[in-house]
Amino acid sequence: MKMHQKGYLLTTLSKSGSLWDYELTRKALQEYSETGAFREKTLNIALDELSAAGLIHRIEEKLEADGKQSKLRFKYKLSDFGVSRMVDTGLLLP
Amino acid sequence: MANISSDAGLSLALHKHYAHNQRWGFMWALWTAILWGAWYVPGTALWSEFPYSEIAVDQQSMRLTATAVMTWIHAITVFLFLLLWNTVLGKVKDYGRTIVRFKSISKWYALASLCGGPLAIFGSYMAMGFIGPVFAAISSLFYPVIGAIIARLWYKEKISKRAAIGMCIIIFGGMIIYGPGLFGEMNASNPNAWLGYLGGIMSAIGWGTEGAVAARAMDVSDPDVGIHCRFSFEILFWGMLILPALALFTDLPIAELVINTVTHSKAMLWILLAAACHAYCYTAFYKSFSLIGVGRGEAIGNLYAVFALIFIAAFTLQLPEWYFVLGLIFTILGSFVMFSESAESIANLRDVDQ
Repeated sequence: MKMHQKGYLLTTLSKSGSLWDYELTRKALQEYSETGAFREKTLNIALDELSAAGLIHRIEEKLEADGKQSKLRFKYKLSDFGVSRMVDTGLLLP
Repeated sequence: MANISSDAGLSLALHKHYAHNQRWGFMWALWTAILWGAWYVPGTALWSEFPYSEIAVDQQSMRLTATAVMTWIHAITVFLFLLLWNTVLGKVKDYGRTIVRFKSISKWYALASLCGGPLAIFGSYMAMGFIGPVFAAISSLFYPVIGAIIARLWYKEKISKRAAIGMCIIIFGGMIIYGPGLFGEMNASNPNAWLGYLGGIMSAIGWGTEGAVAARAMDVSDPDVGIHCRFSFEILFWGMLILPALALFTDLPIAELVINTVTHSKAMLWILLAAACHAYCYTAFYKSFSLIGVGRGEAIGNLYAVFALIFIAAFTLQLPEWYFVLGLIFTILGSFVMFSESAESIANLRDVDQ
């Protein structure tokens, strides 16, 4: 069975060091064979929640041109607290 | 020059992003209060329908049994509404992936369901039964304080001075709304009053702890999925443990109550309406924790005290007393004090390494 989506986002970050939100969502959409703006938004909300809870940190941000509007992008990194929560919840081996 | 303007654009975009999350967090918490308030209409009306209308107020053990039965059927119905919600959101598979990780994640939702279900609901009914409904309502108002303290001590949730002041003002507003009614309810000669006080403490601890425990599990799982897990466990607790134990070890008519409830369309209609309110109230509740924290989410959720009276007045055409307006002003003021925190400060809810 595949891992639940927030767990996947955390483990992917722990393996990669740091990633931009679009890189993370692209990997997650591929993993779960999902497509579309709604699914992408759902994953971005999950990243906002993880960041608010202090499990991941925003280490960089940029504005990216997206048609007439610009889109805010974040680069994320796992925090020490995130690592300890991953260990607590069996997502990472101690 | 180009750099300055792009830096300003980035700062503005960041502020908009944080403000957007803050607004959504408070909006979810407000929906919690509205739907919780609305729940009181079908929740109260259910007691007027057969088989519950046949149980006299002084039949304490039968009333507690009836509460257990209606809570179980209610939880099953809530589960179905949540299944619909998660099907529309495409999260049913994620529900399966989360609930199976019992040892590391979903056990926390099981604990949350124990705190919010048997502990808080039973506590609230004890407070209602042994002292009165006004005391039960007032004691429940203190649950955000318990939730905020546990969240602070357990996982360092930040509670700013402004959030704490706002929480106190909202609780004070709630006490103004319900407080005067308490004088008619307190009876010094009541020998069982201690059971009512115990129930009041149980309900505040139960709901406060539920928020803190659920938020801990939502660190690594989705709130929509989390609430679905929580109700799955509540169904199991009532249906596999509490009700069978009552049926086996007492002569209380559990099976008869269950059959009489599900075969009477009016009782089921009220349960359906109550469950619809409760399912989405709880969904909004859990979603608010992830964005604004347990303390703020629960404090805004406390506005249910206002909405419950508004909904009851709308359906019964009985206007609340004048002091309701005073309490309303305080609760709204408290909410604005909380909302006036900077969006950036809420972007990081915990005092952890940056």
